[in-house]
Amino acid sequence: MLFAHRQAAVPLAAAAVVSVLIAGCSSNSSGDSAGGVVKLSMLTGFTGPDEPSYQALIKQFNATHPKIKVTMTVEPWATVGQKLPASWATGQGPDLATPSSDPGSIFNYIKTNSVLPLDSTVGSGSTQIDSSAFPSTVKAAFTVNGKLYAVPANMATLVLYYNKDMFTAAGIKAAPTTEDELIADAKKLTVGSGNKPSQYGMSLADNNTIQMWPILQWMSGGDIIGTNNCAAINSPASVSALTKWSGLVNDNHISPVGQSGAGADTLFSSKKAAMEINGPWAAAGFKSAGINLGIAEVPVGSAGPVTLASTVPLMIERTTKHAAEAKQFLAWYTSKTAQTQFSKISGFPPARTDLGSAVASNPTVTTFAKALPYAKLYLAGQQNATQIDADIYVPFIQKIERGADVQSAADSAAKQINALTQCKSN
Amino acid sequence: MSSTPIVASRRRAATRRWRFNSAYLFIAPSVILIGVFIAEPIVQSGWMSLHNWTVGESTHKFVGLDNYTNLFHDSRFWNALKVTAIYTAAVSVGQVVLGLAIASRLRRTTWYSALLRTAYFFPFIASLVVVGIIWKFLLDPQVGLVDAWLTDIGISPPDWLQSTSWALPTVIVVGIWKNVGFTMIVLLASMQQVSADLYEAAALDGAGSWQRFRNVTLPALRPALLFTTLIATISGLQLFDLVFSMTSGGPIFHTESVVMYLYEKGFVEFQMGYASALAWVLFVIILAISAVQLRVLRYRDAD
Repeated sequence: MLFAHRQAAVPLAAAAVVSVLIAGCSSNSSGDSAGGVVKLSMLTGFTGPDEPSYQALIKQFNATHPKIKVTMTVEPWATVGQKLPASWATGQGPDLATPSSDPGSIFNYIKTNSVLPLDSTVGSGSTQIDSSAFPSTVKAAFTVNGKLYAVPANMATLVLYYNKDMFTAAGIKAAPTTEDELIADAKKLTVGSGNKPSQYGMSLADNNTIQMWPILQWMSGGDIIGTNNCAAINSPASVSALTKWSGLVNDNHISPVGQSGAGADTLFSSKKAAMEINGPWAAAGFKSAGINLGIAEVPVGSAGPVTLASTVPLMIERTTKHAAEAKQFLAWYTSKTAQTQFSKISGFPPARTDLGSAVASNPTVTTFAKALPYAKLYLAGQQNATQIDADIYVPFIQKIERGADVQSAADSAAKQINALTQCKSN
Repeated sequence: MSSTPIVASRRRAATRRWRFNSAYLFIAPSVILIGVFIAEPIVQSGWMSLHNWTVGESTHKFVGLDNYTNLFHDSRFWNALKVTAIYTAAVSVGQVVLGLAIASRLRRTTWYSALLRTAYFFPFIASLVVVGIIWKFLLDPQVGLVDAWLTDIGISPPDWLQSTSWALPTVIVVGIWKNVGFTMIVLLASMQQVSADLYEAAALDGAGSWQRFRNVTLPALRPALLFTTLIATISGLQLFDLVFSMTSGGPIFHTESVVMYLYEKGFVEFQMGYASALAWVLFVIILAISAVQLRVLRYRDAD
């Protein structure tokens, strides 16, 4: 009774506004089916010059599967790494995604129960995932607690890219085939005085990259983590290999220090470095930069031929509404037809071990594919791979590149690694 | 009204009628926004810091103050604190002193001083990440302008952002460059309010320009100096964007600030409990330093 009508209007209006605002917040669903066509969303980080290859593959799938439409969105890996964990853990994200270029990234998603195990679709049928054809390192990396959680979105091996013009100018006739030749060539191709050469013999990256330094250790029989899950980074073989190579960087300045992967690629593309160890994704970009490009196998060290393998995991969201269609897509993606086609258009080796003859006609692909038998994954099967890389290995390499004593730095890195891997020995 | 006073007063005392105050409705939107987006996350982060909280996991183990005790034994935290402290001290002092110097030079409003003021102020409104990325390019050893010009005049420049000794000073210089405009504007505004009579009186008493500055301008600027120093300190302690875009905390953690470390722990390793503990420790530090500054630099109003 004390309320005037004017005052009553105010709370009513406020309530109306608030209710409209709340009604406006409705959740939007992803991956609907409209008119019988199942729509699948896929998020990847393939922002490089290889993106068109993936899009072409997806286009082919959509054309041959009229009832399913896959749309691939591409964002930088860092963005994917930030958005995906929370969106998948809450069941809101894309149906399919590649969480990171690092195969070790799958552990976090398995731990938070965000991804679908794929074993029910594994088999040799035409709509099944033929996991027995995957390279064994890949299958091992994507199988956790006996279940397969991911298929390889791509399979890459690192090779030695070199600038043929710079080689000719330095009087080197052919690409190095042994580690000693590699070292000699790197020194010869470093041109310019002081610690700022005008041309670097090699472009080495140590952070935010598909790692190159592990290869330099593996060449001489060194490693980062041994088979017993304990650190091998301070083994005599590792220390001698790293002393050799860090000395080349620190004393002979064959490479700049502290480069990111992108920086190292740019250095080679802009013709300021004569060699770079890189993967198949870079070939197109280097060619269009106008380099007289040579591609060779990574030179062989005392431990025999070795290189780094890299594979990107492709996984399905556990709460996807279209699990069957998503699995069908993965089965097609890893099939012989799709992998042969992908290999042809992208220059990547196929992610199957039974396609040797089909891709033999392409010399670039053959060089990459030849390395598959002896390509090792970096920090394979390590749950804490990302942390070991960012917190231990990268700072360790950066320290020795700047002249720190290798043995003591390696010992301290080994201690940190053992704490993380919970190494049970001595 | 003609009711008996005793009855009326008893009624008034017994039943206190609530008058609807529409003011609450007006502040409701702000209160709701602040509550949902600022207050609640602060409280929740405090709650998270008492748990072993990994993003996406369904259960989180209560660990009490374990995160905080681990933090105090974490050498990487102490390194981050050292980096942040050095950055804050250098940038606050640099920003205020340089801002003061520029403000006193550009005191008179002419067309060129107005132009210069705009030029000095412009970096302040640019986004931190944009500034970081542009400076990263300028300082790039292969394609950067800075190195190109220095080599042209015969100086061999160090690898600015990759050198363990030059990385933090470089970030400090960029931080000062970015914020000096803000300090300059605030101090300028304050300076222009100082009465001309005071300067006349001082000049008549034989005070030189430096003495006028020290004894007339500076005391009058005390509140503005306190304000700019406080703001510079608080924002310096929260250093993140510049480091993230220029060095990612490298090389070898030499530019990793507390917030950068917090970001690594919380958003890269998904250890939200530990990251929240870091955030709360930083909050307490900022609170303590601000309280000390307010006390030390407090403007004692004499009149």
